Amino acid sequence: MPHLPHHDKLSGICIAMVVLLTMMTITAEAGTVSASYLYSLSDHAGDILYEGGKIFVDPEMNEAYVISNNTVTVFNRTGLEVYRFGENNNLGIIADLALMQNGNILLLSYSRDYRNYQVLLCNYRGEPTRAIEISGVPAGLGDFRPGHIAYYQGRIYLVDQVRLLAVIADEHGQIERHYDIFRILNVKKKDRVNAQMDGFSLDRDGSMLFTLPVMFTACRLSLDEKMDCFGQPGGAKGRFNVISDIITDNRGNYLVADKLKSVVNIYDKEFTFLEAFGYRGAGPGNLTVPLRLGIDSRDRVYVVQSGRRGISVFSLHYN
Amino acid sequence: MVMTLMAILINTEKTVSAFHSGGVGPCDACHVMHGTSGSGSALLRGSDPSSTCLHCHERPGSIGPSGHHISTPASDMQQGMPPRQLTPGGDFGWLRKIYIWVPDVSQAPATSYGDQHGHNIVAADYSYLPDALHAAAPRGTYPSASLTCISCHDPHGRYRRNIDGTTMTNGNPIGSSGSYVSSADPQSITSVGVYRLLGGKNYQPRSVAGNLAFLNDPPVAVAPDEYNRSEAASQTRVAYGTGMSEWCQNCHPGMHPVAGSGAPRTHPVGITGRIGSAVANAYNSYVRTGDLTGSAATSFLSLVPFEEGVSDIASLKAHAGTDGSFAAGPDPVSSQVMCLTCHRAHASGWNEALRWNTRTEYIVYNGLYSQEAQAYQPYGQGRTELEAQKAYYDIPSGTFAVNQDSLCHKCHTGALP
Repeated sequence: MPHLPHHDKLSGICIAMVVLLTMMTITAEAGTVSASYLYSLSDHAGDILYEGGKIFVDPEMNEAYVISNNTVTVFNRTGLEVYRFGENNNLGIIADLALMQNGNILLLSYSRDYRNYQVLLCNYRGEPTRAIEISGVPAGLGDFRPGHIAYYQGRIYLVDQVRLLAVIADEHGQIERHYDIFRILNVKKKDRVNAQMDGFSLDRDGSMLFTLPVMFTACRLSLDEKMDCFGQPGGAKGRFNVISDIITDNRGNYLVADKLKSVVNIYDKEFTFLEAFGYRGAGPGNLTVPLRLGIDSRDRVYVVQSGRRGISVFSLHYN
Repeated sequence: MVMTLMAILINTEKTVSAFHSGGVGPCDACHVMHGTSGSGSALLRGSDPSSTCLHCHERPGSIGPSGHHISTPASDMQQGMPPRQLTPGGDFGWLRKIYIWVPDVSQAPATSYGDQHGHNIVAADYSYLPDALHAAAPRGTYPSASLTCISCHDPHGRYRRNIDGTTMTNGNPIGSSGSYVSSADPQSITSVGVYRLLGGKNYQPRSVAGNLAFLNDPPVAVAPDEYNRSEAASQTRVAYGTGMSEWCQNCHPGMHPVAGSGAPRTHPVGITGRIGSAVANAYNSYVRTGDLTGSAATSFLSLVPFEEGVSDIASLKAHAGTDGSFAAGPDPVSSQVMCLTCHRAHASGWNEALRWNTRTEYIVYNGLYSQEAQAYQPYGQGRTELEAQKAYYDIPSGTFAVNQDSLCHKCHTGALP
């Protein structure tokens, strides 16, 4: 090895330190968040082998509400079933639910022939107290058929995933605003048949988060119609294959489930990819086709899967 | 000028990435190159080929028929509720439905198993299991355990329709899908994909052993742009041209053999199944049981479609649709019966993936499709009214007679052969 003059040695050390610091920075950035598997939702007989379904997690009580086979099952904060309702079909065909601040439940359900929908106000037991009549649907919205419902600070959100229409109503059902997402996204009319929304949830400020799998895109739509979208198709980490749901964690990061990769990707507030967890496999921390996501106030992530893999719960850790 | 360019950029409409575009999609959308999550030698991202397809083609929580979805998950179908997709091929969710009923006081309970309702694709990620009733394709040798979406559909979309009407796997690049009314036509430098990415001559998935290569090319047909929809208000008309039955015989060669081949006599189909004037007249005049006042211009019934016997895409494009503007019945010279005249390609609410229930005397009885909640259910056969109506693609039971005979009578009225 050639002898280096003193100043060259210093230069070498400086370069090495810069390289080391750079590597540490990259490592730290990539390692800012990780996920560890905790358990699967279960009843007294063991893990429930759900195949699909929707999930909503109450951020106040950290209870999970799962809709499957037209039954809403409630799990406590340790993942054990504690209550269920709707199994006798008395609430119609349950499409989605949301929780109000007072613990009441907003239930979006359809008549058995799917011709008519209703928003039912239910108490915390799932017992309907009254129907909230949605009024003031703009004429231009046509046959508005919502598949998602959400609630934020006194406002009810209803979203038609096929026509990409969203309305926001007050607690009495009076529509105050509506959003033609196709128009905002400027999607060609001939492409609208297939450009359907899959996942939908609310950001921490009431903005709408949703995925458009066919467009390999996840979006955040603010109430003043500011649209931010991200995502690129591809097999590399952080790129999208067939995405499904999107949620935000308690730090403002975004979690996007990818069915084809069988992972949950985590992005920061600027949509920079941070980490992914899950991956296909038979291990307890692996995933099979993640379909829906939920998260509680403790950053416990609930992942609804296909293939009778049930609902896995992960804990997010931040450095 | 800069402002003009900016205005153009801002106003550019977004194009949805058509995944298949008539040919092959991005490789890494279905295959994983360096990971451990792929399965088998194909390095698929799903547990098997069908699971990989269903990642896009099944959507949980769908409110109703929409887009390219062809399967309803079990979590969306509690007892008594039907699958939700209404593509002309049918919703594979019917494979998940089992029906048990008592026909009458003198008979034991009968059963219609899910496996009887269609092509039992194997898709482990979505709990679709091999056909438990058939080890191989009926009247064929294709192994049931290997039946997946890619048994019929070429995932790499190699088969293309050229400007001269020929079908081949090489030649001009595939520019777009060729399946729809709005699809582009092949040009001198680009071809279009064949109908529904179906496999053609010599097609055989690499994962299936044995000599099972297809002998026949895909059919000529055109689907309306919006094909997954309720037919409560108007019918969905796929314009079938020719070749469907011959294509089905790639896997079911003994199902409808050529007449005179020594095989058992079966219903004629395809080019040997020209409808002829007697059947065409019957089809055109038949409206419902007891009503033979129909006319050739309005007699089409999507539950009993037929091939037009032509391969003229422009003509087929003019005939496919959903608004009922073209409702003509069969031509007595060129039209022909095909497998899909009676069956759906994927699955249906009835045994053998039939479009209507052929195992009963009536498909509508006393004004209803079903005898839901009654002790004896000889006609609805365990289906709820909602399930039966969905099996008939939401066509109201009132469209038919109060006591409506089997739709075999659409072609076979009176003393026809």
